[in-house]
Amino acid sequence: MSAKPDFFRYYKKSYLTIILIGIFVWSLFAVQWNSDLIHAGGFVTIMQMLGALFQPDFSKEILELAIESTWITLSYAVAGMTLAFIIAFVLGVLASGILFGESRISILMKSFFRGLLGFLRAIHELVWAWIFVASFGLSPYAAIFALALPYGGILGRIFADMLTDVPKEPIEALNSTGASKFQVLLYGYLPMVKTNILSYTMYRFECSIRSSAIMSFVGLGGLGYQIQLSLDDLQYDEVWTFIYFLIAIVVLIDLWSSQLRNKLNAPSKHWFVPFSSILTVFLVAGSWGYVYFVDKASFLALFSQENLAYAKKFFAGMLGIGEENPAFLDRESWSNALLLTYDTLRMSIMAIGFSTIVMFLTVIPAARNVANGTLTLAPKWYSWISFGFIRLCYIFSRAIPELVWAMMIIFILKPGILPGAIALALHNFGILGKLCAEVIEDLDERPIRHLSSSGASKAQILMYGVIPSVLPQFLTYILYRWEVIMRTTIVVGFVGAGGLGQQFKLSMSFFHYTDLTLLLFCYLILVWISDYISEWARKTAR
Amino acid sequence: MRKLLTYFTFLLLLLLTACGGGEEPANESQGEENNTKNTEEVFKIGAIPDQNAAELSRSMGGVAEYLQEETGLTVEYVPSVDYAALVTAFERGEIHLAWFGGLTGVQAMSLVEDAEAIAQRPRDEEFHSVFIAQKELGLKGIEDIKGHSFTFGSESSTSGHLMPRYFLMENGIDAENDLDGAPNYSGSHDKTYKLVEAGTFQTGALNEAVWETAVAEGTVDTNKVEVFYETPAYYDYNWTINAVDPVFGEGTKDKVKEALLSMGEEQQEILDLFATDKFIETSNENYAAIEKVAKELGIIK
Repeated sequence: MSAKPDFFRYYKKSYLTIILIGIFVWSLFAVQWNSDLIHAGGFVTIMQMLGALFQPDFSKEILELAIESTWITLSYAVAGMTLAFIIAFVLGVLASGILFGESRISILMKSFFRGLLGFLRAIHELVWAWIFVASFGLSPYAAIFALALPYGGILGRIFADMLTDVPKEPIEALNSTGASKFQVLLYGYLPMVKTNILSYTMYRFECSIRSSAIMSFVGLGGLGYQIQLSLDDLQYDEVWTFIYFLIAIVVLIDLWSSQLRNKLNAPSKHWFVPFSSILTVFLVAGSWGYVYFVDKASFLALFSQENLAYAKKFFAGMLGIGEENPAFLDRESWSNALLLTYDTLRMSIMAIGFSTIVMFLTVIPAARNVANGTLTLAPKWYSWISFGFIRLCYIFSRAIPELVWAMMIIFILKPGILPGAIALALHNFGILGKLCAEVIEDLDERPIRHLSSSGASKAQILMYGVIPSVLPQFLTYILYRWEVIMRTTIVVGFVGAGGLGQQFKLSMSFFHYTDLTLLLFCYLILVWISDYISEWARKTAR
Repeated sequence: MRKLLTYFTFLLLLLLTACGGGEEPANESQGEENNTKNTEEVFKIGAIPDQNAAELSRSMGGVAEYLQEETGLTVEYVPSVDYAALVTAFERGEIHLAWFGGLTGVQAMSLVEDAEAIAQRPRDEEFHSVFIAQKELGLKGIEDIKGHSFTFGSESSTSGHLMPRYFLMENGIDAENDLDGAPNYSGSHDKTYKLVEAGTFQTGALNEAVWETAVAEGTVDTNKVEVFYETPAYYDYNWTINAVDPVFGEGTKDKVKEALLSMGEEQQEILDLFATDKFIETSNENYAAIEKVAKELGIIK
């Protein structure tokens, strides 16, 4: 045996890191850094926005409006998540293959459902919303379905993985007693995965609030709609009021869900669990009731003859039926779309690069065990201040959806792919920071203390103590966020931040349906490629 | 807000009185809904959101009230968040009468066969866009725009995008390459002048009527922003009516048209919001030129 494979295996993580850094640096060349990127009035606008940040408009009128929009946002999210849960459960069970045997057809079925989940997940909720609005009209159900499908896809895939990873012994025991497939599912699989399924759904619930807020960009109400209207009138003080409400609700849901997850995993029952069940019932009933009674959205009316005709016309338009020169058969359109695809790819890499850099700069003081000195054995008086400040920035960063960041950034930077990348980075560094700080908090403290007590400086502790032990986990999170960013690139483009999304918005306004098909196709390919690369890289890093 | 409070009280009561009570109100309300649908078809009017929402709901609310009095129909104004959404709603027959710009009107006419432009303001026969800039730049003519940052209005706007882009092209300026960065799309005329005034963009192009109103009402600071170029004339805004006769009965279209054309001094308050003193007759043919420009720019295929 030659030493070469071993050598490669030993260094492959370093190779991977170098390659990834190289790709990031390459992506930076997409922007001409020499020209002034912030256009002439950018600084003025930044100052106006920052000024309003500390003087939000808390007049009675605006507060009432904010409470009402917050409820709309929440109720669409809850209604969407209930449907998503049902979709995820059914498709997840089917995709896990536990109801099928080992025959060839069963394997085919299994991959079919896996593919279906992947497809639901691949398309961003705002694109789904747009498709539903085109076929159902402006109904709350358009928003609810648009949330239900991608979240159903995300949850479903995780459910399927959880079901497949269940320990095999209890299942075999049940099988040997002659239980049917459904009985095995009901009494074997479900009790074992129940807690995990609930935890993960709660975890996703927080994200769905943010998604629900941006549904307004296809014309459906909620907090995003108010933010958009206030931005249109350049009332930055109102914008911040609505953003504060959005942050508040995201933080509340986050607290609830993390508390519940802790309590669910705890061995003994806690009052918080039944309390949460009642709250959930109240929210679900309240949300659906609101949609039905107050919004007066009838479910059956969606499937009217008329809507069917419009949906048909819409899809015929997308497929270019009856059109002389559909865009997807046109060479020029293709080269245009591919150029935009390339831009979008670079935008996503830049975005993850920026957020990674900011995360690395802030993550150490943001870890609780660094702040209280247990990790370094050298507590500093300012540790808690920097901890609090950075954590606050993280919350701010991740509670505001990319789209809202983008709407503000395009006031400051020149249109192009840079504002898109920065908006995506602004949202993602908070998420990445939080995830990675938790990795450090779970770190084995002994080697680091050893370094510290032998007199290593902060930088040395970082280089030789922390980074080597957390890097694989960090890399996994970074790659995972890159996948998510890829999906979201199309959305920041909607408000003028470049790439495929911007062209998508223009084609929507001009009713160029076949162009939309082509752009969607390019977008899907991009999403699939990024999923594939990221999965490969994660395996390598492991 | 009050609606929300009532709803929550109702919900709490519902929870307190246990689940059994839930079914009854459901049926009741459904019955009610069916009733309203059968007895009256609401005549819905809409407008492209080219100005701020509060202003639009004042002017369009006035028109809805007036039309209701004149025609005896139940008229309602439905706000819309973007231009394309209004065109889609018009296509779906959810909007019966719409205040369109030139381009959106042409889009609507191409999607709905029987759609007809029936009325417009006298000024819409000779409409202009204005190019504005920060005063300190001292721009003198359209050529001076090169190298400055620039914002259009909505991408679906005639006076905020289509015609400004066309006249830039006519003057040998490539909007994508000759400016400072790619042009921005602000979304509305109001926002365009506000962004230029705030310093976010150096220059912009917008609807002449909105600009004049803003100057007259003092909502724009003319010490900071000035007009440096005005485009030649073209046809713009109009009232376009859907195929309404099959839905509301023969003669509805004529009735609505008559009502719009006979608006006068008594309705001056509403007309002021449209910056006009009357509406005059128009026809689809007037917009052939807009359609041609849109095709030339590849916006309509």
